[in-house]
Order: sequence, then C-alpha cells, then structure tokens
Amino acid sequence: MNKKDNTKLAILLVIIFGIGLFYISTDGFRAYTAESARMYDLQQEKPTLPNVTLKDSHARTYSFDELAKDKYVFITFMYTNCGTVCPQLELNMRDVYKQIPSHYFENDLVFLSISFDPLRDNPEVLAKYRTYFDSDGETWRMARVNDSEELTNLLETLGVIVIPDDYGNFQHNSAFYLISPKGQLVEVMDFTKVDTAASILLDHLDKKVRD
Amino acid sequence: MKQAIYGLILFTFLALPPVANLLESIMIMHMHMQMPLLVFAGFLIARFFQLKFPQFFERWNANGVPGMLLFLIIWLYWMVPRAMDEALTSPFMELFKFFSLTFLAGIALRDSWKKLGNIEFSIMYIFFTLKFIIMGYLYLAIEDQICNNYLIIEQKTLGWGSLAMAVCFVIFGFYWHFTDQSEYQKVDL
Repeated sequence: MNKKDNTKLAILLVIIFGIGLFYISTDGFRAYTAESARMYDLQQEKPTLPNVTLKDSHARTYSFDELAKDKYVFITFMYTNCGTVCPQLELNMRDVYKQIPSHYFENDLVFLSISFDPLRDNPEVLAKYRTYFDSDGETWRMARVNDSEELTNLLETLGVIVIPDDYGNFQHNSAFYLISPKGQLVEVMDFTKVDTAASILLDHLDKKVRD
Repeated sequence: MKQAIYGLILFTFLALPPVANLLESIMIMHMHMQMPLLVFAGFLIARFFQLKFPQFFERWNANGVPGMLLFLIIWLYWMVPRAMDEALTSPFMELFKFFSLTFLAGIALRDSWKKLGNIEFSIMYIFFTLKFIIMGYLYLAIEDQICNNYLIIEQKTLGWGSLAMAVCFVIFGFYWHFTDQSEYQKVDL
C-alpha cells in the first residue's frame, strides 16, 4: 500500500468510528440529552410504580393504588413555591385536562399533581394552589407524598431528578407521565406539546373503553 | 521528551479526584477548562508517540486530515449534553472522557495541525468560529435545562463563555488575515 491510500483509509476509518460513536451513545441518533435518553429508556422499560401514600388538598389520605384502581393516571411533579417551570407545567396540564371529554373522568381517568416539597405543601397550600389551575380537587387532585422514603423511591422509578438550589427552590426535569390501570408507566410525554399529549391520552382511553 | 513528561504530569493532576470534581462541579469549567486542558495534555504527550512511532503517523496521517477529523469528532462528541451528563454519572464514561480527549483528540491534533494546508486550516477555523457562535447562541436561547446535572444559570454562563471564545476567534481571524505569516512559517519549518 502506498502512503496516499493509507490516508484515505484512515479518513474512512475515522468517519466510521465517528458515526459508530454517535450512533451508540445517542441510542441511534434519538437522544442527545440525558433527559431525552431517560424518557426513551422509561418508554422501553415501562416500570411499575411503587405504591405511595398520598395526602391531598382535602387532607384525605389514601394510597396511590386505591386512587388509581382501574384508571389511567395522568401525573406531573411540582412544588407550589416554584416560580419557573411548574406554573407552566400545570397550565399545560390544565390545557390537556380541558381537551378530555368529562365522561372519561367518571371511571377511566384521574389527573394527579404530586408535590415533592412535603415540608411546605400542606393541604391548605395545595387547596389554594389548585384553584389557580381550575383543578376541582376530585378528577384532578393535587397531593403530596408524606413519607420521604416513598417519595424518593417514586421519583427514582420515574427518573425525576430534583436539585435543591441555593434559594430554597428546586430545579427539576418535567414531563407528563401516564400510568396504565395496571400501575405501569406507559407514556412519558413532552409537557410543552399539549395537543400531542392530549391525543396520546385519548388514544389510550378509547382503547380502554372499547375493551 | 520533556514535553511528554509535562503532559503526563498535567494529565495525572487533572485526573486527581478532587481536581476532577472541582472542575466538573461548574459547567463552564467542565467544558471550557477541563476538556481543553485534557486535549492540551495529550498535545504534549503526543511528542513521545511521534518520536517512538514516526512511521505510523507518516503513513496514516500524512496530510493531517484523518487526525483533524478524529480531533473534531471527539471534540464534538463531548459537546453533546448527554455525554457531559453521563461523564458525571457513569465511571466508564468518565474514563472514556479522559482517554478520548487526551489520547485520541490531543495526539491527533498535535500531529495534524501543522500538516494541514491553507484551505483545510481555513475550513477548520471557520468551522470552530461558527461552532462557538452557534453553541453560545443555543445555550443562551434555550430555556430548558439541557443537562440534568447543571442549573440553567450555568448553562447561560457557558453560553456567554462560548460567545467570548467566538470573539477571540474572530479577532485572531483578522490578525491572521492581515499579517504576513510567511516569515514565521519559514522559522517553524
């Protein structure tokens, strides 16, 4: 082999290496951020939710499984003191809520906003917060998880990362989560795409009603 | 050979856990300090390999293009937000970061940049200037947190840092364009 050929071969090898490197590390050019990788992984794994005990804005205590019995649960994670992404997240959740015909809320679906700040978000605070988003406290409930171990376990299962910052606030990743009547995570959706989320949700509900 | 030893010392220093943790705790230091320093360590270490295996570089990197491509690929790879996150959470990725930036990117850069012709050099220059501008703009414009391990405010800082680099590149571009380089190059050769 002469020198020139080797250089061309080297270029080819380097390019193949590069494509391979990017392909493998982005799940086949799908996930360029750890967040999208997390969503992709969750969709593949479909983990079952650990049971947690909730305390809602009416100060009622019940387990997640009781609430979710034979229902789809549409979940977001937030805390009421949040000034950045949570209000947007909850507003978008409201927009999804409004696109769902009310008869689905009788037996098939419940909306749930879970606070990960149990210290500040007591039932009174949650009761006030829910009114900002027209949540009725029944078909769309706002609740906290009392037990910190249960909360950590839940956040970990769904890959929610919460970083406290220096000002008593939290920075966290956000998404819409859909849990099947069997308690399995079936969808992790981009919370900025309200219409897409609503239509995915309706697809699942239609299927459930048909069966 | 002295250079290679300095490079190895720099590399070892950067790999010390407290040093690595400190640099990685701040996003802009992670990307604009730790990573370039790793490449620089490799740049120095490269002397050892160049002296030891001159035929290898002569045969596989005669015009500097394969090496430059390798450098580019490795560098771009570590600009992917997910790669940065994973370096923090996975020990294997952290090892790969130290290895790839030093021993692939650094050595490739050292062996390639002087071999590049004027046209290739200009392409590289334009590419990197644009890269810094685009990255700076992206990091400032995106309102979402793109690295799970870093706060948005750090993302903005990194955006301004990238723009500052872009400004430096543009200044260098003017300087390079309007000065006569031939005398320096004669000395170099």
